Amino acid sequence: MIPLSWVVTTSAILFGLGLYGALSLRNAVRILMCIELMLNSVNLNLVAFSRYLHPEQPRGLVLAIFIMTVAAAEAAVGLAIFLTIARNRTDIDVDNIRLLKG
Amino acid sequence: MNAVAILYLLVAVVTLACAYGVVVAPKLMHSALWLGATFVGMAALFVLLDAEFLAAAQILIYVGAITTMILFGIMLSDIRDLRAPGEGPWWRRLSRLVLSPRRGLLPLLASAGFALALWGIARHAPWPAEAPPPSPDVTGSIGQVLFTDYALPFEVASVLLLVALVGAVVLSMREGVENR
Repeated sequence: MIPLSWVVTTSAILFGLGLYGALSLRNAVRILMCIELMLNSVNLNLVAFSRYLHPEQPRGLVLAIFIMTVAAAEAAVGLAIFLTIARNRTDIDVDNIRLLKG
Repeated sequence: MNAVAILYLLVAVVTLACAYGVVVAPKLMHSALWLGATFVGMAALFVLLDAEFLAAAQILIYVGAITTMILFGIMLSDIRDLRAPGEGPWWRRLSRLVLSPRRGLLPLLASAGFALALWGIARHAPWPAEAPPPSPDVTGSIGQVLFTDYALPFEVASVLLLVALVGAVVLSMREGVENR
């Protein structure tokens, strides 16, 4: 069987990659993709803990399903906002989008 | 070390390489395709962890819906891509990383520190050495729990999806189209 520490290490590296991308990239669509990566690493942790600690009650899997729902909603609304911004200006650089800044 | 563990290691390395491709791919379209590959790898990891329903949902939602939506969004909108960190020869990439603290060094330190901290906690935590035997009907018990204990969050999630659907339609509607 797979050691649990391997799964947690995979998830930690994946979360680190997503966090680096979300902090360092400037394109908003790329940042959205990196956030999806981070949510996926959380799902991997939930699945592993549910399997190793409570295999008879899959509450971790249910929580992972809810995270998938929220991720899908977030991607849909985020992409709609970015497309609206990209229609009015040519780029979606998060450094230049400051409409809400007073 | 058995066959499942070796298979897990292989799939995990491939998945992490695809995730690295998402972050550093020079073109936005390639980045989205790497994202799809990462999602497929995650589904394989879910299968190896005995969560077949989650793997199917992952393929359906992430690969089938989210990746396709991002690809269509990129193709339909003529987004001018910005300079990605993976562009140029390696010395220029390295100098850009070191010279721009806000876009390179600081995120690198933050994310690497966070991942190392998680890993350090995970190494010293008292995990069970051996996994308990798998539950015989995981998918059935997911449905049982979802529609008894988590019935209210399930309904709230459906309302959330409806709100996101309406919100996305309203946001991407062109100005003046409601007058026609």
